[in-house]
Amino acid sequence: MINIKNLHKNFGDLKVIKGIDLHVKSGEVVCIIGPSGSGKSTVLRCINKLEVPSSGSIAVDGHDIMDKQTNINEVRAEAGMVFQQFNLFPHMSILENVTLGPIKVRNMSKTDADELGVKLLEKVGLKDKAENYPDQLSGGQKQRVAIARSLALQPKVILFDEPTSALDPELVGEVLDVMQKLAKEGMTMVVVTHEMGFAKEVADRVIFIDEGVIQEEGAPDNFFSNPKNPRLKDFLGKVVSHL
Amino acid sequence: MAFVFETSVFWDTFPMLMRGLKLTVQIAVGGLFFGFILGSLAGLMKLARSLVVRKLAGVYVEAIRGTPMLVQAMFLYYGVPMAVGVRISPITAGIIIIAVNSGAYIAEIVRGAVQSINPGQVEAGRSIGLTRTQTMLYVVWPQALKRMIPPLGNQFIISLKDTSLLMVIGVGELMRTGQEITSVNFRAFEVYLAVACVYLVMTLSIAQGMKMLEKKLNTSRR
Ligand SMILES: Nc1ncnc2c1ncn2[C@@H]1O[C@H](COP(=O)(O)OP(=O)(O)OP(=O)(O)O)[C@@H](O)[C@H]1O
Ligand SMILES: [Mg+2]
Repeated sequence: MINIKNLHKNFGDLKVIKGIDLHVKSGEVVCIIGPSGSGKSTVLRCINKLEVPSSGSIAVDGHDIMDKQTNINEVRAEAGMVFQQFNLFPHMSILENVTLGPIKVRNMSKTDADELGVKLLEKVGLKDKAENYPDQLSGGQKQRVAIARSLALQPKVILFDEPTSALDPELVGEVLDVMQKLAKEGMTMVVVTHEMGFAKEVADRVIFIDEGVIQEEGAPDNFFSNPKNPRLKDFLGKVVSHL
Repeated sequence: MAFVFETSVFWDTFPMLMRGLKLTVQIAVGGLFFGFILGSLAGLMKLARSLVVRKLAGVYVEAIRGTPMLVQAMFLYYGVPMAVGVRISPITAGIIIIAVNSGAYIAEIVRGAVQSINPGQVEAGRSIGLTRTQTMLYVVWPQALKRMIPPLGNQFIISLKDTSLLMVIGVGELMRTGQEITSVNFRAFEVYLAVACVYLVMTLSIAQGMKMLEKKLNTSRR
């Protein structure tokens, strides 16, 4: 589904990603963890070309995003993204937030899009908020709308960038529940997260990024119980002591 | 001889100003309509990827903002026809001058408002597959438009007042009408006071209208 080969990304002189290879299979849930500033978001944002890779190759569902022939807007519709800060459109109702993509990108009729939108809002438990506006919702509700918004494009994969980091602790669960449900339904997901519990329970594979390279990766049980990389040990120690 | 305020002259001035008022409104509305289009275009051009496009808009904005409108008016009405050989009516010239002049200021308003929108909005738009244009149209512009209302109201008021400068190219607008009346009755005090009142009523109405529009947008659509 996603095939990243030897990805490098520099911001000016700053080398942020220094050679990352990552292959995500269809239906797989991959969690990416790592310290702040290690390049997790950058990797994710390269996948849908919100950041343009400096070198290397990325294919999403067989489409080479670096190829000039590739319509990047189509790729982005196939690879949804959920942001830490939700980024809902404040001037649109919740339903309009969800239906904008289907109507403008998929050329769906408004009636069909509304039907789909209501269905998706129901799925994330927010059907009764369809006519509300984003600033009338709690953080957890906003993030669930954001998930519905990306689902509305019927993407093949969803990229989550710390979807629960901006939430009050008591609202984290409702968002993780929705994500877990998606994972069970077979959605391909790449999740940057600090929620180790979620990674342990839901991920098929966990990846530890530090200093712009993958330091360690593996199935969650082994990964967490038996970390080899000293940086990962150190990182997990810090995270656990926070809990 | 002591000055006596002639109340009847003051009141009688208003009906005589009506023809000029109509022209002032026409030129202000027409000028600002095209000024907004021109300004939006130039403002967006200032944010374009192409350096040439950005520079082009920059030159326009700087040239207009850096010169007096009076000079622009004289140049367009008397100067340009000499070069291109077509005469335009004073009213058309007036509308063009207000449009070109306000457009430069509106460009900066538009640029500022668009830039003030959180980049996360663009990323969210692009990440659902919208094109750059679609993202601007459906996501950024409506939000920016709301932020433009107060400074736009300000610019509308300035441009409305600036139409009075058009008397120098012979547009029979409000100010010139007032001047014509005084040249007959020599009652500058009463006549210009009446003229000032008419401008004031219009500018206060614009300010009030903008306030109401802002309020309405704040309570209904967020
Ligand atoms: N647009 C940019 N311009 C310049 N530097 C950037 C840009 N985006 C990210 N960086 C830098 O790249 C590095 C990696 O950033 P990134 O956001 O990928 O880290 P992260 O692992 O997601 O961190 P966090 O956990 O804090 O979100 C940081 O040093 C950051 O300052
Ligand atoms: Mg990040």
